Amino acid sequence: MSTSGERKVSASLGRSVRGAAPRLADLASTPEAPRTPTLGRSVSSLFGSPGGSFRTDDDYVVIEVGARFVRAGFPGESTPRCTLAFDPDNQRRVGDYRQWDPECAQKRSNPNKGQDWGQEFELYRMDLSRVDLGVVEDKFERVMRDVYNKYFVLDTKPRRILLALPPKMPHPLMSTLLDVLFGGVQAPSITLMSSPVLSTVAAGLRSALVVDIGWAETLVTAVCEYREVHEQRTVRAGKLLSEEMAKVLNAALDEHVGYQEGDDISFEEAEEVLSRVGWCKSKPRSNRRTLYFPARTSPILEEFEDAVETPEPTMTIPLPKASPPSEITVPFATLAKPADNALFATETALNEFDDHELPLHHLIYRALLFLPMDVRRLCMSRIVITGGVSALPGLKSRILAELEALVQAKGWDPVRNYGTASARHEQILRQQRDARELRRQEGDDTITEPLDPDSPLPAGLRGHEEDSIDAKLAHVALRNGPPPASLAGGIVRGVETLGPWAGASLVAQQRIRGIVEIDRERYLQHGLQGASKEKEVSVVPQRQSMGPGVVRGAGERASWTLGVWA
Amino acid sequence: MAQPFPYTYYACDCYDSNGTSSTKRASQLLREAEEDERTFDPRSPRANYSLYPLEHLLYCEDCQQVRCPRCIIEETLNWYCPSCLFEVPSSVVKSDGNRCTRSCFSCPLCTSPMQTFSLDTTGESAPPFILECQYCRWSTLEIGIEFEKGQGIAAQLARLGNGGKHIPTNKERDKERERRKEIEGRKARDVLSPSTESTNTDADRDDEPPSHDDLFSNLTAFYKSQVDAQTPSNPFSSHDINFSSPSAYSRIMNLYSTTGSKKNKRSKPSAMREAASSLEGLTLHDPANEAAAIERIKKEGWGVTLSPAQKHAQINPNVRFVDQLRPLATLLCTKRSKRCRSCRQILTKPESKMTSTRYKIKLLALNHIPRLSIRALNATPPIPVASRPADSFDYNALKPGMPSHFLLHLSNPLFDPIKVTLATPSTTPGRVQSRVTILCPQFDVGANTDIWDDALSSSLSPMRRGSQLPDQAPQIEAGKIWDRGRNWTSVAVEIVPGFTDAVGSDGQNELEEDEDVLEIPIFVRIEYETDAGADERGLGDSRGSKGEQEKREEAFWTVVGVGRIKG
Repeated sequence: MSTSGERKVSASLGRSVRGAAPRLADLASTPEAPRTPTLGRSVSSLFGSPGGSFRTDDDYVVIEVGARFVRAGFPGESTPRCTLAFDPDNQRRVGDYRQWDPECAQKRSNPNKGQDWGQEFELYRMDLSRVDLGVVEDKFERVMRDVYNKYFVLDTKPRRILLALPPKMPHPLMSTLLDVLFGGVQAPSITLMSSPVLSTVAAGLRSALVVDIGWAETLVTAVCEYREVHEQRTVRAGKLLSEEMAKVLNAALDEHVGYQEGDDISFEEAEEVLSRVGWCKSKPRSNRRTLYFPARTSPILEEFEDAVETPEPTMTIPLPKASPPSEITVPFATLAKPADNALFATETALNEFDDHELPLHHLIYRALLFLPMDVRRLCMSRIVITGGVSALPGLKSRILAELEALVQAKGWDPVRNYGTASARHEQILRQQRDARELRRQEGDDTITEPLDPDSPLPAGLRGHEEDSIDAKLAHVALRNGPPPASLAGGIVRGVETLGPWAGASLVAQQRIRGIVEIDRERYLQHGLQGASKEKEVSVVPQRQSMGPGVVRGAGERASWTLGVWA
Repeated sequence: MAQPFPYTYYACDCYDSNGTSSTKRASQLLREAEEDERTFDPRSPRANYSLYPLEHLLYCEDCQQVRCPRCIIEETLNWYCPSCLFEVPSSVVKSDGNRCTRSCFSCPLCTSPMQTFSLDTTGESAPPFILECQYCRWSTLEIGIEFEKGQGIAAQLARLGNGGKHIPTNKERDKERERRKEIEGRKARDVLSPSTESTNTDADRDDEPPSHDDLFSNLTAFYKSQVDAQTPSNPFSSHDINFSSPSAYSRIMNLYSTTGSKKNKRSKPSAMREAASSLEGLTLHDPANEAAAIERIKKEGWGVTLSPAQKHAQINPNVRFVDQLRPLATLLCTKRSKRCRSCRQILTKPESKMTSTRYKIKLLALNHIPRLSIRALNATPPIPVASRPADSFDYNALKPGMPSHFLLHLSNPLFDPIKVTLATPSTTPGRVQSRVTILCPQFDVGANTDIWDDALSSSLSPMRRGSQLPDQAPQIEAGKIWDRGRNWTSVAVEIVPGFTDAVGSDGQNELEEDEDVLEIPIFVRIEYETDAGADERGLGDSRGSKGEQEKREEAFWTVVGVGRIKG
């Protein structure tokens, strides 16, 4: 072994020196005639020395960082080990146990003046001009310590981290988070994955339109073949929603007997009401009149559903922290108002919105409109709605229904307003639609046999000729190719996802390596500036790196990139 | 503050020293340089993370620095369940997770521990058994679960879904998936010749949506099959050649066998595809589920829904209603040793025995850092609350604008006398500005010698306690200490609490939480001479030889909480 191995090494060395670098394809195709795989031997003798494995056994932990929650767990598990929120109670000094004080539990915590709604409940915000990164670091560090010491309870073996982050994060913020993970928990390397892609993975898809209704903003990302291709944002998201909910509850409190001036709903109460009994009307109502109904689906059904129930259903909400502790009773329908106002803004005309505050359905429609036609076909039938707010019952149906209505009304026409010609345009649209409808109706009873054998049907009216080869090919495709269900497109369809964390868990379990992989040593040397400027780094290793003189293992890459975060 | 007044917090300055400077921008560095000269602000948002009670701090003797929980590394020594005190081996922790695998559960509603009860009326413990919360009386009956045995509840619960349904294990799931796939495959083949048989197989398919775990395992299986189909059986095409794994070996061995080469002649693999059915993890959005949820909330109201805290405590946080709750297995606790982050010296190490609370190594800041405390001058020394006389000083009602005197008490745990310098800003930071004057900012504190030394020395020289002659009440004098003992000294402080209503001038009338608490940042600097290497305890420090005196100094910020201003 030793001599022959030596020779082989020098042989391979000679080859690479000569510049005839063997291609990967050479390795991939095993020769027909059985012969000793020379390179195999040399590689093993090269790297067989100490340890043998140049990728340390890849144990991962999976962490998802959002503005208000951190989820952390292990790959292959369907749910995270812990979901930790950032709230003022766990940001107190050590030794300050007032949250356990029964007196304090009765009191409503007033938010500090000069702070935004729910600001003390969030880890970061994208606008860094008003964020103290030091505090972000402190908060995140404390939470991560909790995660590792209380929920992971691991041995000291360093573990790689798969970190799910929203795409497009400010670099100072990213480096703050990475500082904590590299410094505080001593991770040997961190793989960054963007959460829309992971949501796509967790839905079992490759392309999707991911609507992440998060805390501060809703992010619509078109993912095509696991790549973000387009992105749109709006501020209509959880924060606005809970503020609206607080307004609704305050209005109800005003009428309540024993109400004291200034005793307003706190953030926690609004959040609790929202997550417990908040809901969303699943049928769009505002644009009923403009909505076009095909002849077959009668609008009567919907009118019927809107009929007021008698007696009007109500909801009793206990408020134990109010002074005095009380209960308020509100009509059930008012609990759906915040979603209407905050997310869909049904009362406002479209031209009054700024670019950053489009209602959700318009935002999604616009995102789809921006996409190339083939990507749009894939994305529109793979609408994945995720994020904390998406758990609001009725919201997903509502978004899809609103979108469907928009598409029906406007088609995929980028022109928003035809001005004086709009009437004519509407007419054209209607004609087209009628014609389509007519064709579909007639499709059922096409004339297969010419009635009169002497005068054959004109070619335009005749059905397609059935080609036996085509049929056979289709059959083969059906059997060997992907099932037709996975090729659906062209219709508005929602797909459920298990969420970014589950996606990250799946990815880590399959040992798929990300584009953005940050090594501890390199990060500590250069920080985020060390990343190469290219957005893509080949995941397939270069042949050269396998050469004998190379110190680095195959598991490492020559340079690293920040991918979508760059 | 929740701590009773008066209290003292110590600041660990690790937060601005452990950051990697590479990532900091120039402006940030500049700001930090400024911060060095600024006084510590106990109201800054970062202060909450750097202030600790002295009891929570450790001390690294090598670095001669205080170590707070964020500048130490923790290593888990062993795992145990806090409610059954059963020690869990690390292999089980790895395989079964961080929760007790026996019968320890806590209530999903109120988090108090649950107990196993027999439903048998004859008085003997016979099946069926249930778990019941002793506090809120929630029991597993409410989610339709009864157990056959009284032991090993966790294992039984893992197999029982809510309502008594059977939860398939991973293997059963795989088998079921295979079976269904086969049926589907048969159906797909029958597409051209549709038969009536395929319809009744549809009927026995699940009438309810697959659970979160089902979906996840379906997705896992789907991706695994897709990735496998992508990876040819050739060892070099996959980018990670890992010779430590058995699969890599098998792939290499495949090379030498004749079958391996034949496999490769297969036509090019089809592109990885998307999941096509729910067996592969695809779920289409179904408005009916959401409508049902809304109906249920409308009908049954607030009581059937879960609070956010209850949801997050669940293993699967995507639950909404009370009948989806599961009892929570108790989280395991750990015994951990702690090391200094910079020099890796062990700071604490508990005894490994579960029931023992003793430590093998324990380097506390308590034994190295002087303890600073404050109390009102006219109040008696701190005694238990119950026996405190009614006319004692009320720390919760400091009068604004009224100068009052307090005593700063500094006791020295070291075996060498120390020189202390105290410094404080003349007005406290924040909107409520109180004036603070330490009357004697520089003084000495005696060594922590044997308690009998004190008795002997004081008997020899009674005049040492000059200020406390029995017939002469101590005077408050600038530049003079108030009182001293064997290893303690106290000095007087004059404090004029600020006006809380003066805050209203800038338009914001209301006080924020704790803004009326009078907290004084005090900078403490101590200097002392000690035997070099004396407390190295023979760790082999070659710098100082025996007997040589070494000058040391230490400096840190403390925050003294005096009381609450009221008026």
